[in-house]
Amino acid sequence: MSQSTSVEPAIAPEDSDRALLYGFVGRLLQAAPDAADLTVLSKISSDPEDTSPIGNALRSLTALAEEVTSEDVLREYHDLFIGVGRGELVPFGSYYLTGFLNEKPLADLRVSMSNLGIERAEGVNEPEDHIAALLQMMEGLIQGDFGHEVPLSLCEQRSFFNDHLAKWAPHFFKDLAAQDTSRFYAAVGVLGQAVIDVETEAFEMIG
Amino acid sequence: MDKKTRDTADRRDFLKLAGLGSLAGGATLVTGTAEAAAPSSEAGNGYRETDHVKKVYEIARF
Repeated sequence: MSQSTSVEPAIAPEDSDRALLYGFVGRLLQAAPDAADLTVLSKISSDPEDTSPIGNALRSLTALAEEVTSEDVLREYHDLFIGVGRGELVPFGSYYLTGFLNEKPLADLRVSMSNLGIERAEGVNEPEDHIAALLQMMEGLIQGDFGHEVPLSLCEQRSFFNDHLAKWAPHFFKDLAAQDTSRFYAAVGVLGQAVIDVETEAFEMIG
Repeated sequence: MDKKTRDTADRRDFLKLAGLGSLAGGATLVTGTAEAAAPSSEAGNGYRETDHVKKVYEIARF
């Protein structure tokens, strides 16, 4: 249990905040939050004077967490991502980049995962390029969770981000923010967009 | 200040201004939920399984 919650003290505060946000958005996209999760979400307080895109997006999300029921969010999650045959959105990188699942982007990701010592957990059947899995990989790489002595360097993080998220995650989050099936997940989309935007800009600063 | 140090400082300031710490107040609460969900989670990695996401996207840690 502790792996996903502990942060090595060696990580700079802003990097543990990054990992936290990746993990947070990743978990919301992995599965619909249950009633207990929603209660916790609704209690997250943020600085009202923080009018950054991430601050604003979090405030919207926590306000919605108070309004919605877990039944609603579960149904919305299903309609959005599972659906009858297929959900409204297909949250896989390969699909966004090629129009098909399991194409070259997935093969490329598997090469990167292998090089970085990441593998799909036992019993997982879905392709690895699900948005939630990619966000959780970023979380783990920042924290140094995958058996590395130290977190991945910023340059290596940037390579992974550019290779596997930057080309499609902005489009996915834009679609998620724009759909009108779920106000809750639209707010998740806005938050995801903000995180990707900030990361894109921050990675440009490391020269 | 050499360029690398300055870049790091700029990035750090940028991330701070970007609201990255916004979630910090809720951090413990959020991870606490994951822990509370532990009894129903697979392999104790803190990622929950649901009917819809048949098998979770947890990433094995060696």
